Amino acid sequence: MAILSLKNVSKKFGETEIIRNVSLDIVEGEKHAIIGPNGAGKSTLFHLISGRHGVTSGTIEFKGEPIHNLSPYEITRRGLARSFQVTNIFPRLNVFENVRCALLWSMGYRYSFWTLLGRAEKLNQKARATLNEIGLADKAHYPAGQLAYAEQRALELGIAIAGGGDMVMLDEPVAGMSHSEAASAVELIRRVTEGKTLVMVEHDMGIVFDVADRITVLVYGEVIASDIPERVRANPKVQEAYLGAAKEAEENA
Amino acid sequence: MLEVFIFATLNGLVTGLLLFMLASGLTLIFSMMGVLNFAHASFYMLGAYFAFSISQYIGFWGGLLFAPVIVGFAGALVERYGLRRVHKSGHVAELIFTFGLAFLIEETVQFFWGRATQNYQSPEILNFALFTLFGQEFSAYRAFMIAISISIFIGLYYVLTRSRVGIIIQAAITHPHTVNNLGHNVPFIFCAVFGVGTALAGLAGVIAGPVLTTFPGMALVLGSIVFVIVVIGGLGSLFGAFVASLLIGLLQSYAIASNVGMPDLLNWIGVSFDRDHPLNDIWTITLPQIAPLLPFLLLVLILIFKPNGLFGKRET
Amino acid sequence: MNLLKKLSLWIGFAIALLVLPRFFDSILATSILNQMAIAIIFALSYNMLLGQGGMLSFGHAVYFGLGGFMAVHALSMIEFETAYFSVTLIPLIGGLFGLAAGIFIGSFSTRKAGTVFAMITLGLGELVAASSLILVDFFGGEEGVSADRTFGPEFFGVDFAQSIEIYYLAAAWVFITTVLMYLFTQTPSGRMANAVRDNPERAEFIGYSARKVRFISFCASGFFAGVAGGLFALNYEIVTEENLNAATSGRVLLMAYIGGLGYFIGPIIGAVVLTLMNSLLSNYTELWMLYLGIMFVLTVMFLPQGFAGFIMMHQSAWVRRRLRYLILPYLTTGIPALVFVVSSVAMLEMSHTESDVFDFLGIPFDPSGWLSWLVLAATALGPGCPVCDTPFPAPAFRCLGISKRRQAETGLRPWRYSP
Repeated sequence: MAILSLKNVSKKFGETEIIRNVSLDIVEGEKHAIIGPNGAGKSTLFHLISGRHGVTSGTIEFKGEPIHNLSPYEITRRGLARSFQVTNIFPRLNVFENVRCALLWSMGYRYSFWTLLGRAEKLNQKARATLNEIGLADKAHYPAGQLAYAEQRALELGIAIAGGGDMVMLDEPVAGMSHSEAASAVELIRRVTEGKTLVMVEHDMGIVFDVADRITVLVYGEVIASDIPERVRANPKVQEAYLGAAKEAEENA
Repeated sequence: MLEVFIFATLNGLVTGLLLFMLASGLTLIFSMMGVLNFAHASFYMLGAYFAFSISQYIGFWGGLLFAPVIVGFAGALVERYGLRRVHKSGHVAELIFTFGLAFLIEETVQFFWGRATQNYQSPEILNFALFTLFGQEFSAYRAFMIAISISIFIGLYYVLTRSRVGIIIQAAITHPHTVNNLGHNVPFIFCAVFGVGTALAGLAGVIAGPVLTTFPGMALVLGSIVFVIVVIGGLGSLFGAFVASLLIGLLQSYAIASNVGMPDLLNWIGVSFDRDHPLNDIWTITLPQIAPLLPFLLLVLILIFKPNGLFGKRET
Repeated sequence: MNLLKKLSLWIGFAIALLVLPRFFDSILATSILNQMAIAIIFALSYNMLLGQGGMLSFGHAVYFGLGGFMAVHALSMIEFETAYFSVTLIPLIGGLFGLAAGIFIGSFSTRKAGTVFAMITLGLGELVAASSLILVDFFGGEEGVSADRTFGPEFFGVDFAQSIEIYYLAAAWVFITTVLMYLFTQTPSGRMANAVRDNPERAEFIGYSARKVRFISFCASGFFAGVAGGLFALNYEIVTEENLNAATSGRVLLMAYIGGLGYFIGPIIGAVVLTLMNSLLSNYTELWMLYLGIMFVLTVMFLPQGFAGFIMMHQSAWVRRRLRYLILPYLTTGIPALVFVVSSVAMLEMSHTESDVFDFLGIPFDPSGWLSWLVLAATALGPGCPVCDTPFPAPAFRCLGISKRRQAETGLRPWRYSP
């Protein structure tokens, strides 16, 4: 059952074609990794799916409905959440507020100016619970802009998953983290995406082969393989384009 | 009818070119730093006032020569010690700073020169009629204004596109870090461009002072229109600023010169309202009346339908 | 802060509002207090846009003025018996009209924030101000529109003829609107406005249309600006084109910024300070606007958080009970700074005086004599030029016979002025 379905998606910026005729199906409930060399278009693909850019041609369907030219908030409201490669939080709000804002829409608050958030017990409880999950409960009143890098990444993840989307897209969630920080981040990701669909862009092959049910390899805007990890690893095209380092990482892991 | 049209066109040209002198400096500064310099028209005012004071001692031509230089220098100082400091606080802070600066300059001018209109005269040798058409004179001074404006633009165009300095400036506008890494002193370039931009505004003040009257409110009068021009033309586009300046200059000139009004339009449709109708004000509007409004109306319309302006490359 | 603390703050605010006239009971004082009330509501409404929403507007006076004009027409209607309702509701009428204007204008102007938004508001502000001189029926042309506020039904025996009666009504409106605006910041719309200010892109990715969030803030701020306009109409009984124009828009920007954008209480401080400067300072000197301009530019450059921000900077010291360590540094930097300011003001005033003797703080100076200038310049530069952070004071201290070593010993560091 494909929760997300891309058909012949292309994206051009001016004359430059970044995404070339990509077709991809994400199965509901699976953990799917997208890998590829830098500049392959992975982030652009995320932007296309999440609504930040529109497609030049092709269609994207989420839960059976076309989303390819909707605005980000319309797509998010349908249950698709994403995080960003470059931390994209609300720096002047404190950590608790960051998470609480992320929860507002999904808990039905819409644009109300007649409910006082201080009194919204369920909302505040859920926000606190989310903070506990991402391990930032003790930093709840810090301005988000003052957190350390790894904490900001954790908050980034928290904002993405707070809304309770059915599909979570994470763009290089452990980029820039040390080995131990990355390990706990992966644990966190595993925990919070249980029962949900996860699509992840990652460079760390150890994590990719560990977490993913299926892997898609993107090179120069084209999908050159999309399959279960063993077969992707064995694929000669993939090995030539990208995976030379993977075997070592896997052996070292 | 024809003479009205010709003179309106000529006057519109004078105004438009003057506005472009202001708008070009503003566009350069915006392209370079991303900040819309609210105080730009204030430097225009300073140019007029400095030129006036200088001309008391060494005549109009002395003012023409020295006042823009002084204003440019003042602008460079403002950039170096004021704007650069505020730059790190973001665009909103920069806008607020330049807004405060405009306010401060207006008060300072009033402090040193008082509130009255200054008797800044155009030079004697240009006080004749260049030609007389259909009984109306066109003063040589206005022709001089056109000549100066055009020569400045040609000079600016050649410096920007054909000289080494110009190429460096163009590169620094879009890729300041790269140019910095190539060994050029980009902060100095910023400072210099700001200075040149304000010097241009000052020069506009020097030549416009005698015609548009020199008084402390002169910055306010032109300031908003220059913004309108820069935004309509497209933020960051010199060509857009040129087109928009001429457009606004001519539009206002034609509007003022014409005698068309709402009553004419209504008569043409065959409708008329009596004097006591509640919307009487609107039905009796004439074009000359709304002439000052037209630039702003155009601004709002363009911002709604084409937020990048006519030729704009970037929005903010 | 817990609920009890917050509630006591509000109660304290209400009590202060009620009790102020006891301390300041002259007619001038009442007039100034009324001005402050109007300014407070206006500045707070502006901060909904700028401080809370990140939208810089150069045309906020439009809603203030439109609200004011509608209110004064309503007053006229009461006066000429076309309508009959209590004058206490006049600010509400202003608010509703401001809201309507906000809805109309906001529908097309809130698509973008940033420079584009600022330019739209500038253009619209000029447009409306210029139109007001053309549409004479509603805006009264150059004389504006005036009315009499004493014709409405009495409110518990009060007919609002006196200024002090208007004060209590204004104080009530100040309290109500401040509470409402504060509560707004605690609602989903208010919080999302902050989020959109910080990161409009991310706000979209958590399900909110940034445009709609801005639109709601815009309408709300238009409402409250209209209330301020209505109160203005009630207080002065006349509204003119001046209340719509760029100068008024600029003034509210100044108030909010100087007070401090990032704090709810900031605009209140700014409104109070600016009203005092406007009414009191202008009696002592012609140059008060110059001082205002200088103060504003210096605030933008050195104190971007405003007065409220400056006060809040001391919060961590207060919490850790270490405020007393700041006393000495403030004295060593503050006193020279004060002397500098006073001497500079004296020099500026002296250059503007027309009489033969310039009397400053009881000391007569001769404006034409060079000695006066020398003394003032010395007092200004001697103790130090704090703003420039230059070693000016070193010569002064040397003149006084204090050597560098001695300076180091006593811990006095005259050439570094950063508390």
